[in-house]
Amino acid sequence: MNNTFSIKRFKLLFRKTIAERPVQTIGVMALLLVLSLILYVAAKELAGFNAAQNLSFIWGLAGGGFFMASFVFGYFGTNASGSSYLTLPASYLEKWLCGILIAGVLYLIIFLLFYHLMDIAFVEAYHHSLDPSSLSYKQQYDSVYPFDLTGRIAGKVYAMFLMLAGAMFTGALYFNKSAFIKTAIFCCSIFLVLFGLNWLTATMLFGHINDAGLYNHVTLPLGKEEATLLMPASTESLFLTTTLYIIPAVLWLLPLIRLREKEF
Amino acid sequence: MIEVNNLSFGYKKGKPLYRNLNLHLPIGSIYGLLGKNGAGKSTLLKNFTGLLFPKQGELLVNGFIPKKRLPSFLETIYFIPEEVYVPSLTINSYKKLFAPFYRLFNEERFYGYLNQLDVHDTGKLNTLSFGQQKKFIIAFALACNTKILLLDEPTNGLDIPSKIQFRKLISSVFTDDKMIFISTHQIRDLENLIDNVIIVDNGELLLQASIGEIGRKLSFKTIDNLSDETELLYSEPCLKGHAVVVENKTAQEGQVNLEHLFNAITENPAKAKAIFNTK
Repeated sequence: MNNTFSIKRFKLLFRKTIAERPVQTIGVMALLLVLSLILYVAAKELAGFNAAQNLSFIWGLAGGGFFMASFVFGYFGTNASGSSYLTLPASYLEKWLCGILIAGVLYLIIFLLFYHLMDIAFVEAYHHSLDPSSLSYKQQYDSVYPFDLTGRIAGKVYAMFLMLAGAMFTGALYFNKSAFIKTAIFCCSIFLVLFGLNWLTATMLFGHINDAGLYNHVTLPLGKEEATLLMPASTESLFLTTTLYIIPAVLWLLPLIRLREKEF
Repeated sequence: MIEVNNLSFGYKKGKPLYRNLNLHLPIGSIYGLLGKNGAGKSTLLKNFTGLLFPKQGELLVNGFIPKKRLPSFLETIYFIPEEVYVPSLTINSYKKLFAPFYRLFNEERFYGYLNQLDVHDTGKLNTLSFGQQKKFIIAFALACNTKILLLDEPTNGLDIPSKIQFRKLISSVFTDDKMIFISTHQIRDLENLIDNVIIVDNGELLLQASIGEIGRKLSFKTIDNLSDETELLYSEPCLKGHAVVVENKTAQEGQVNLEHLFNAITENPAKAKAIFNTK
């Protein structure tokens, strides 16, 4: 018997994970998609297309990923379910891969497909609602276009998704009870500490400042004007590499080690 | 087979729950692990299943190191904790999803055990009473045909008829190629079921002996007057005088009273260890 990975066992585990808690997996996934739709519609009415696209993409992907990730390893709320999960005859690699596949890959693909179709449908409907004989037709038409899933904003949201989902995968295996809330608090605390330290450092260096973007820029007042100091390219690149690749990689791989080392 | 050599375990540094525990448990017996609340019975079972890791010493279960939790090891044991987990599935769906992980699972026996325990398919498992859920898991665990079955307080939550059904079922399914390990503080529930007794207290192994050996080395009897016996291990007043436990100096094997045995051993650990040569 292969104790590291068996495709047959993995299929069984995958089927079991989905079917054992359909409400948490399929149900929550469907709910997150519906919420993204509602958010899109509401934001479109209140703040326009651009805000609707950005807001629903951020909350749907990064927020939804965080939420989905809390379920796949969320067996440790009770002694009984935790024991049952850890003693199920499957390797920790299979258990890790199964969780990652559901919340990290499957949800990402389903959300992107849903979001893209929804976005195209709304944009098409808008374009069709315009009067081609109107003088501002071209301007109105060009003001709304489908959200670019390979663009700069999307890239930042993917990074957020990787970071938040990874944090939740790890949190679910470190905090046994109320892992979702504890991880959310932990993430917020880390962000606030980093933001605070960044602001403090900038204030110590430059005195009065208008803004300090986290390891990105500092905005200083210059009379009635303001000037922005960007971080040196090499330092910024180091920061980006860390946040885009190193931290997410650590957060996604840590659960694999944790599953092997976890005592319950 | 479970081999424990100089095992130490503790939840907090400097506060060991077990110190240098040694056990040699061959297959082919029903073991009863007895201990007071908080003595570490569940902890020991969790060490056996790989849910907790020993801090020191060596532990081998079916030739595997449990902490590695290899699938080939997990397939040979089934652990039923005190509180069982059943998802929102029907009996059939549960069987379809969980049984394939155990290659020796026997479907026919599974339904037979359910029948014997009076568990009937009445919808989702999580809507059943706690006792019914527990009986369902016991039936499933037995049908998995694992070499070792570990049960933590299995009779907690079972009504009196269910406890009897449980005892009957365990005795009827037990074969010489298996080991059943039951941890409990409800000693009477194990009467006439176990053939080996393990008693732990204060992180120490006080007794590991077969019922036969206990019957040969200790005598459980009722006497009129306590002063007739000089070396009492345990005594308690009863209707006909005093129920006592004393060292058996005759060669005759007597009936063992588990409750009295437990009290005798935990009240006189040093004496008990000397009688049974417990290391």
